[in-house]
Amino acid sequence: MRAVWCSRMTGGLALSAILLGTGIAAAQDAQPSHPDLSGFWVNQYTPNLSTVLGGEPPFTDFGAEQWRTVDTSKDPTAICLPVGPSRAFTAPFPFQLVQGKDTIAILFEYQSIWRAIYMDGRPHPEDVADYPYFMGHSVGRWEGNVLVVDTTGIDERSWLDTAGHRHSAELRLTERFESTGANTIKWTVTFDDPVYFTRPWSIARTFTRGKPADRLLPYTCNENNKDVEQLESFQPNLNYKHVPEPATGAKPKPKPQ
Amino acid sequence: MHRVVVGVFVALIVCIGGAPASAHHSFAAEYDRDKPVTLHGTVTRIEWMNPHIYFYMDVKDEGGAIVNWAIEGGAPTSLYRAGWRKDDMKVGDAVTVNGYLARNGKKLANMRTAVLADGREVFGGQQYFTPTLPKPPGF
Repeated sequence: MRAVWCSRMTGGLALSAILLGTGIAAAQDAQPSHPDLSGFWVNQYTPNLSTVLGGEPPFTDFGAEQWRTVDTSKDPTAICLPVGPSRAFTAPFPFQLVQGKDTIAILFEYQSIWRAIYMDGRPHPEDVADYPYFMGHSVGRWEGNVLVVDTTGIDERSWLDTAGHRHSAELRLTERFESTGANTIKWTVTFDDPVYFTRPWSIARTFTRGKPADRLLPYTCNENNKDVEQLESFQPNLNYKHVPEPATGAKPKPKPQ
Repeated sequence: MHRVVVGVFVALIVCIGGAPASAHHSFAAEYDRDKPVTLHGTVTRIEWMNPHIYFYMDVKDEGGAIVNWAIEGGAPTSLYRAGWRKDDMKVGDAVTVNGYLARNGKKLANMRTAVLADGREVFGGQQYFTPTLPKPPGF
């Protein structure tokens, strides 16, 4: 009898301990700690995304023709229009990331421009397409230790890179920021634009923590933008031959009006 | 092969490496990487401003006449991180610029490197992001 009682007591204590432990674990899950990505970071300059991709992205016929005929003298940044959200991360300039609980701010030296990533669970605004911003509208969430950012409402005048890869107003970016050490972040970006591309495609780059002595420096693009008067039409891709990927059954969306 | 004669000496520079970096605008829409040039002259004005620095220099042409050239460099922030400081080049300094001619035929060149008055050869572009090049102290 005593043995049974002891056994039940022991089992009860063990169960209590397990439940207590679970409770602690649950409490920890309720307030998860995420990597702190704050800091001063340096981009990997990537003037042509296709060099990372290993070839041209999977163009639709329309996207291929835009690439073939692109005139690099028409680069929007040459007249000091802002860059888009992905080009800012591949330009040869650093950025400051300020990580808050509800908002993550990214302050780019290039063009002194910013991105705000809302982390409070809000959706994209219903009218985001009516009021596009060069950097788009970004909402983020944590998937484990990875910051995942979804961006829409990107002004279609921005280019994806200096080489002249372009996009439509339907571009949707998915970015993943993964801390890969004290001084590096792996940034993976997926471009989904059914007007320009037959399927989403991705590249990855590494941000490296800047030196402590470094700081954000002024970049006021139209301070002395003399280049714009000297640019001449230049179409480097006129010999580009589009080779469509094998059909997958998905219909590309029609060319925008 | 292109031969460009300007200034007190003539040079044909082999284009090394890839296309020069320029994030703000297409390099090839403004300059011709197949037309390297070396210019030697005297600095007449410096514009340490965004998006790219400009400075101007008087260069003697073949006939001995003085011609004022415009030289475009990198972004001030990139040059700063590369070790350039505003007073590294002053009006009146004798400098040599290695770069590329403008496509439009104007007296305009993009600077790849420059030899300053004190003899230092410095890079003119985005070398902060080129890992093979030395960084300035503190960077």
